[in-house]
Amino acid sequence: MSKYIDKSLNEIHEALVKGEIKPVDLVNECLDRINKNNLNAFITMNDKVIEEAKELEKMEVPKDDLFFGIPIAIKDNIMVNGMLCTCASKILSNFEAIYDAGVIDLVKEHHMLIIGKTNMDEFAMGSTSETSYYGTPINPWNKERVPGGSSGGSAVSVAGRLVPLALGSDTGGSIRQPSSFNGIVGMKPSYGRVSRYGLVAFASSLDQIGPMTRNVLENANLLNVICGKDDRDMTSVETNEDFTRLIGKPLKDFKVAIPNYFLSDFVDSEVRNKVLEIKEMLEKNNVKVDMVDINHIDMAVILYQIIAMGEASSNLARFDGIRYGYSYPDPENLEDLYLKTRQYGFGNEVKRRIMVGSYILSGENAKIYYSKAMQIRDDLQKSFKKIFSEYNLIIGPSAARCAYPLNSGKDDPLHCFMDDILVMHANMGGFPCISIPIGFNSEKLPIGLQILGNNFDEATIYQLASFIEKELNLDLEGGKVSE
Amino acid sequence: MSNYKKTIGIEVHCELKTNNKIFSPALSNYGSMANTNVNVIDLGYPGTLPVLNMDVVKLALKACKVLNLNVSRKMHFDRKNYFYPDLPKGFQITQALTPIGTHGYIEVTKKDGTKKRIDILEMHIEEDTCKSVHGEKNSLLDFNRAGVPLIEIVTEPCMETSEEAVLYLTKLRELLLYAGVSDCKIEEGSMRCDTNVSISKTEEWGTKVETKNIGSISNVGVAIEYEAKRQEEILESGGKIIPETRRFDDKSLSTISMRVKEVGNDYRYFPEPDIPYLNIDDKFIDDNTNDLVRMPDERRESYKEAGINPINIEKIIANKDISDYLEKFLDINLVVASNLLLGDIASYLNKNDVTIDKTHLTDSKFRDLVNRLDKNEISNKIFKEILVDLMENDLSIDEILSNKGLNLVSDKEEIKKTVSEILDKYSDLVNQYKSGNERASKAIMGMIMKETRGSLSPALANEVMMELLNE
Repeated sequence: MSKYIDKSLNEIHEALVKGEIKPVDLVNECLDRINKNNLNAFITMNDKVIEEAKELEKMEVPKDDLFFGIPIAIKDNIMVNGMLCTCASKILSNFEAIYDAGVIDLVKEHHMLIIGKTNMDEFAMGSTSETSYYGTPINPWNKERVPGGSSGGSAVSVAGRLVPLALGSDTGGSIRQPSSFNGIVGMKPSYGRVSRYGLVAFASSLDQIGPMTRNVLENANLLNVICGKDDRDMTSVETNEDFTRLIGKPLKDFKVAIPNYFLSDFVDSEVRNKVLEIKEMLEKNNVKVDMVDINHIDMAVILYQIIAMGEASSNLARFDGIRYGYSYPDPENLEDLYLKTRQYGFGNEVKRRIMVGSYILSGENAKIYYSKAMQIRDDLQKSFKKIFSEYNLIIGPSAARCAYPLNSGKDDPLHCFMDDILVMHANMGGFPCISIPIGFNSEKLPIGLQILGNNFDEATIYQLASFIEKELNLDLEGGKVSE
Repeated sequence: MSNYKKTIGIEVHCELKTNNKIFSPALSNYGSMANTNVNVIDLGYPGTLPVLNMDVVKLALKACKVLNLNVSRKMHFDRKNYFYPDLPKGFQITQALTPIGTHGYIEVTKKDGTKKRIDILEMHIEEDTCKSVHGEKNSLLDFNRAGVPLIEIVTEPCMETSEEAVLYLTKLRELLLYAGVSDCKIEEGSMRCDTNVSISKTEEWGTKVETKNIGSISNVGVAIEYEAKRQEEILESGGKIIPETRRFDDKSLSTISMRVKEVGNDYRYFPEPDIPYLNIDDKFIDDNTNDLVRMPDERRESYKEAGINPINIEKIIANKDISDYLEKFLDINLVVASNLLLGDIASYLNKNDVTIDKTHLTDSKFRDLVNRLDKNEISNKIFKEILVDLMENDLSIDEILSNKGLNLVSDKEEIKKTVSEILDKYSDLVNQYKSGNERASKAIMGMIMKETRGSLSPALANEVMMELLNE
């Protein structure tokens, strides 16, 4: 079978335009790899995808649409009409979406082909995808290691080269950390850049959908087509720009900050050294790189626990067994229905977070914790904004260490939060932030660099990301599955 | 006479008259088949988000204006979290921290003529829950009501008698109705009144008891009296009032306990993250309140000045359609106009089950009609003859009269000719008049109308007749 799927998006598009291949060929290549290599990346396959691909043959391939006929994987917390949307939870295991999310409207408008819905942590709560009701997806770089999370299935499907594109969601690092663990490029756009309509809410003020791809250019291109104002999401904003426009432009008078906190002792030394190598490389290229201190930077995990848990406890209240989803079949009364549906329908991590969140919003606690956290969150955003008034971007490691062994956080609920200690600032401030691969550790596991920009400054992030990508020229096919 | 002083506070929920629901594009109306005005947002489907219907804010601003409330310039919505089957999201979107209106009042006039200012603590916007219908074995949910926009208006505990409470609600209803904010139909649930009543012999308030489910404004008065008496009996027999929620039973005219108030009810309020903060400036308030029509009290004044009797004034105010219609005709004789609208025209409309705008009685025709009746150019008798034509034909009054051969002669010379002929014919009556019987003129006028079949302008005919008689 021809391996068109491994070619760049531009090359695939050209082949489609010339008629060398048809969309269905690409779909078959993807399905072939998925079937031969069980990475448990998908919860539900799209059983109509071949049909949909053949349907596209009736159309002329539009020359200006890079995404026509390209297969894509969608995280299973995003609604695709007619497909199950489980959020990797028992409570939604039988839930079929009856409408398309805002991003899915755009995916379909550009005639991308949805291969399936990807595995994840239950309701996106976790950093390893181990809380999934459907088992953990496999990290194609090392089967003994976690794939990261919560968008683990999406990351794995791109790293394994099962699909060229995927969508994830990021509430506290859920796109960037698995991208880092899997050697791919993952962007959490600015809050409001992509419509959240049809994304099952975890923490409404932090959630954002973003693109997960093999390289920076394709990432920027995918963001170009999934962003925009959606009248069904009041927090979404209009976008009138091309995110690829600065890619390849020289880094003139460029200033980058590295917070000292991002290279603290809790960061693995191999990871830290790799980031310092990047620092050196940038300096050689006349980029000014300063180590800085940022007020409140150490508060992010605490803020996340309060804000995300509080909002989650409310967002997940609708799963009560009354209108849809799992419903305990034989309740004694209404209260029993609520209790047993949620007791058996949710997994432990989700229940833990709902309980913490309910406690945080309870009575006086709402003032002591939630309101206070919102104030500090404001301050945190301001102190980052101050850095952005002097520096183009902030960089640091995406994760404190590379993918760690499976089951290592089982008895330590705080473990996974501490692991996301570096990625939550972007969500708190609504900032855009990308993770790109910058090399490997001694165990051949990918290391990720995160690049954080000011609100709505994705274009500058892509400029630096693509520069680093080109300078490093890494071989990232180590996760690719066999055929 | 009881030694106890009542303290009464009232909470009113009103459905706002918007076309669509507060957070979804589904229609917001009453009487549709169950679960037909529903979309994924109303069902609380995962992934859905609320989109604020700005018409809700605009109507609420109108309510703020007529209730003299201060408008919160920066407001947001909050989530009130609790579990109940009629609450699809597991939380209600309401305003806990920044109600759109605060510290307002309305003034009522009591039977004894004294005025009382009723203070309103706050007014906030919220969404309605869905409607549960409880059967023997199961309960059914109708989501048509889920997401219907409401305002909740909360008074200070400032009323002392059931009369004040009834007057407050009557006035409140009138204001909201005239501001176009709500239909205020208690029987359809678009206005719901809950009372909080406590009694005390001292300055310190007693324990308050809430009563819900009161089906009419007059029953609010009944419920308050019942509740005060019930509490007094308990206290007098050495008992204690427990804080509870009761419902009014309109068959026994009493209140029945629903549930004891839970201590420390914890709704885990926090700001709704899916709806951005809303900034309301003066211009926005003005733009959305400057089309308010005149409120009832101002209209009452106009009617009084125009000489309409008090009974008719209240009849007109009670029928907003008529009152609104009259607003277009404030420069003509309002007594004549209102008599028509409350009398013959009202009967016609009732009989034919139409509204005035669906008839052929255009504004200019109505104005013409009132003016002619006012100047006696048309007699009441002729008006009754042409009423159906006025309502059902696209013809002017003159055309109708001439078609029916009822054209009034208003040429003075022509009238003079006709009248002198009639005077000749009835010379005995003329002689009676001339010999001092002034009342004979009335009889002569009657003969003129009879002989001409009312075809002369009555006013002119009378004028000409008097001239001729007194020559």
